[in-house]
Order: sequence, then C-alpha cells, then structure tokens
Amino acid sequence: MYQSFIGLEIHIHLLTKTKAFCGCTSEFGAPPNTHICPVCLGYPGVLPAANEEAMRMSYMVAKILHCTLSPKCYFDRKNYFYPDMTKNYQISQFHDPVGRDGYFDIEVEGEHKRVRIHDVHLEEDAGKMIHSGKTSLCDYNRAGTSLLEIVTEPDLVTGKDAEAFIREFRRMVRHLGVCDGNMEEGSLRCDANVSINLQGQGLGTKTEVKNLNSARFVRKALEYEIKRQKRVLTKGEKVIQETRLWDGDNNVTAGMRTKEKAHDYRYFPEPDMPPFCPDDAFMAAVDERMVELPLAKKQRYLNDLKLSLDAAEFLVEDSKFCDLFEAALALESSEPKLVANWLCGDVQGQLKRADVSLEESHISAGRLNELVGLVESGKLLRGKAKEVIELIINDDKDPAVIVKEQGFEQVLDESQIDDWVKQAIDGNPQAVEQIQAGNKKTLSFLVGQVMRFSKGKADPKKATEKLEQALGL
Amino acid sequence: MNVNELKTTAQLAMLDIPDPEKLAQAFTEMLENFSKMMEVDVEGLEPTTHALAQGNRLRNDTPRGTDESDALLARAPARKDRFFKIPNVL
Repeated sequence: MYQSFIGLEIHIHLLTKTKAFCGCTSEFGAPPNTHICPVCLGYPGVLPAANEEAMRMSYMVAKILHCTLSPKCYFDRKNYFYPDMTKNYQISQFHDPVGRDGYFDIEVEGEHKRVRIHDVHLEEDAGKMIHSGKTSLCDYNRAGTSLLEIVTEPDLVTGKDAEAFIREFRRMVRHLGVCDGNMEEGSLRCDANVSINLQGQGLGTKTEVKNLNSARFVRKALEYEIKRQKRVLTKGEKVIQETRLWDGDNNVTAGMRTKEKAHDYRYFPEPDMPPFCPDDAFMAAVDERMVELPLAKKQRYLNDLKLSLDAAEFLVEDSKFCDLFEAALALESSEPKLVANWLCGDVQGQLKRADVSLEESHISAGRLNELVGLVESGKLLRGKAKEVIELIINDDKDPAVIVKEQGFEQVLDESQIDDWVKQAIDGNPQAVEQIQAGNKKTLSFLVGQVMRFSKGKADPKKATEKLEQALGL
Repeated sequence: MNVNELKTTAQLAMLDIPDPEKLAQAFTEMLENFSKMMEVDVEGLEPTTHALAQGNRLRNDTPRGTDESDALLARAPARKDRFFKIPNVL
C-alpha cells in the first residue's frame, strides 16, 4: 500500500496600497508599465525600503499561523536570469524569514487536521510577459508588488485535504484583511508538492504541480498526480523529480520542459535592505489586528449561537457579512439565529439581485437589528420585509421610516381583522358551504379575500386562525 | 577550482569566460586565501551582513505622487506601445 504526502506553497498578494520596496501603487488593471519607477525597474544606485504595512501584514499572517516570529528577519537575493524581473534577482527571504514552525487547523469532512507550516516569508512578485512571434513584451506593473509565501510541511494526504486547506486558508486571509483571496485573478496562488511511497518508508520522490487556479483544480490535479505516481511505481519505474503543469481541459498533469541543471539561486543577504527588527509598538499593532480564526468562529456559531450549518458556513465564508453579523449582535440582544437567517436569506438575496455589494449598500448593523425587531414584533408584514431590504440597499433610510412611508405596517387591531373576516364570510356563502362540506382548500380563497380587504396589511396566519374560528373548524 | 565548476558558475552568472583554464587557476589562488580566512575562530559571533545599515528602514504605505513611467519607457531600446520589447525568451 502506498501513502501520499502533499505540501503546499501558497503565494498571496498583500492588500497594500504600494509595492513592497518602492512607492509605486500596486493597483491592478492600469495600462502596461504605468506603475514603474527606478527602484522596481532595478536601476543602478537606487535604494529599496520595506513597506511598513507589508511587514505588518506578514507578521500578522505568521502570527495567526502560530509561527515563531523572527526578532530579526533578513532579506535575501534570489538570483535568476529571466526578463520578468529587470534586476536579475528577486528580493526574498531565505535564511531568516518572518516566521517559522507554525501550524494551521483545517476541517476535512467533519474531521479536524493540523497542518504544520514550514515558514512564512515576504518577497516581491515578478512582472508579466506576453510572448508572440519573435518578440516578448514586458509589463512591470506587477513587478515588486508584495507577495507573501506560506510553505506547509508535507502533512496533507489527499487532494481533498489540499482543497480544504486552500478554502480554509482563503477564509483566513480574507478575515484578516491581508488578501482578497481571489484565485482566478491570481491574488492567491498555489503550487503543490506531492510524493508517494510504500507505507512506513517516508517521503518519496516528489513532483511539483503548478497552474492550479482554483481550490477544485488543486484537488483534481493532486488526485490525478497521486494515481499517476502509483502507476509509475507499480510498473517498477521511478518517479522523476520535475515540475508538472495542470491541464484543466484534459484533466491531466504534464511534465514541463525544463533545463537539466537544477536551479541554483545563490541566495545571499540583500545588501540594499537592512534586517528588520520588530519593536514593541510594531508588535502591538500586529496584535491589535489579530482576528478569530474562521474555523474557530464557525465552531462558536454552531455550538454557542446554535446557528444552522448553512448559516455558519455562509457567514465565515464572507468576512463582510460576518463583521456585520458580529456588529449587529454587539448592538443589542437580537436573537443571533434570526439575524443570521435574515442575513444569509433575504439580505444576501436582495443584494445579489440588485448587484450591489454589502459595503456599497446602506445596510448597517443597526438597520439590520431594527428590521428583525419590526418583523418579530409584528409591526412589519413579513412578506414586505424583502421590499424594505431592497429599499435600504439603495436609499439611506432606516427600516421604520421606510415601513411608514410605504405603508407596510401590519394591522394588529383584532377588531379590524374580525370585520374583514365577517365581510369575507358574508360575501361568499358558496365558499362557506364548500368548506363546511369538507373542502378545506377553499379556506385559502377566504384568506385571500381578507388579505384583499386589508390591502395586504393583515397577517395571513392570523386571518386563517380567525376564519377557522368563525367557521367552527 | 576545476574548470567545470568555473564554467557552471559562469553560466549561472551569465558570464562569457574567454580563457576558463587560466581563470580557474586564478580562482583557485583566491579560494586558498579565503580558506586561510576560514581558519579564524568565529564561534558565537553574528555574521556581519550589513556594515553600515542601522535600525529599521521602513516606508509608509503611501503611493508616491510623481509618475516617471513615460521617461523610463522613453529610455528603452525597443518598445511596442507601452510594453518593453525584447527578443522572444519563451
């Protein structure tokens, strides 16, 4: 029997305004070579300086991953010749990275697994190139933007483990606010190292799989690669250590043509960058921005707040909704389950329909609580809550104001409802006859009549009760 | 240092060495001098990676106001629109 070993190398684009070592903006989508300067183009005589926010975010990630944080971290030069970097080297960290020896807990099909983290290090991203015909075109807008690399130990076993790791990790960086976690756009990238070996014989010869731009592809590529390596070993052949690319169209990995010589990056301490020693103020700022890990949050929502699994999953998946939920709970004693259900039900639905993000909308914790309160106290027709939400999304108005303006108040006056019930019964003797003859379906017709008289302001449940009472059902 | 080692090193640094045998000899002498230095006992001493750098050198995460991109592009030997153009490296 073979066992498999998977380690991941994850790169995240930090959400800094500027690049890692110069003041160019790190925003995407600008025309080619708009955000370039002598520093990120590697002109002679320039002096890079570390972005304080990038350093802070790096330590935040290392800390939340339970790493030993470096009291003095160094930058190193990773030397390579390829025109995606003009300097012929990349500023990275090798000997003394921001953090080492951490761990991250994930959940795979209900089971908790702990994955050790080898290290967390800050580096700069490379530029982009377009190759066509006899020329290559270079765009250095991305060159020098801050990229944080997180390397795990080979503790993952299956493709499913790796997929779960990626999903949980993406939630974590979003909650921490250090990365948008978008794999399709490349702000979170993942390479996977995988090897198999006979039970008890330790790691085998590994291959590295690249081009994995979704969590699902990570799983599929690893499942394929493990099967492929088994076939190779079963035939008595050897796995070749190489880089393979995932081909999502054909669901296979294929060996990359590489030079025979192994890479030798000749790392050495970056002479232009002094080592960084975090002081107390720096670490205090890091501590202040620590958040509860999404997995722990989910457990708390399930066990303490008794949310449904769907609601808990939904909230931890989207940190913006999660923040709003927490803020609403902090404001007053709303029933957490109700708030959560409104959030992942109609609030989410109406936002999607209006194609407005939560931040762009006028929904706030206070308004959410108010809405829940209005519905629960019976002051707002439940059926009209959706419209109220729709209106809050676009208009900067409180739910109570909207309810009043739109005439969405529910009629609570019992005698008023009694009148409508009487009117419905008196006006429809045939329907009454049918009901009394046992055709209960006709009752909904009478409920409809009451709703019509009330112009939709009666509670249909109440109307049904009263009709049943009046008809002696 | 043997000639093959030198050739590999030169290749990594993208250097064209006209007379590798002669240079290998020079390198061997140089490396002997280093091995003499290696004899010094530095047990417990922190390596000096930066002789002059003192304290943290950090920068605020604020975009620089100036835009030099056009001037930088203008200095490129070959361009296509706003791209730097080079021979195909794929």
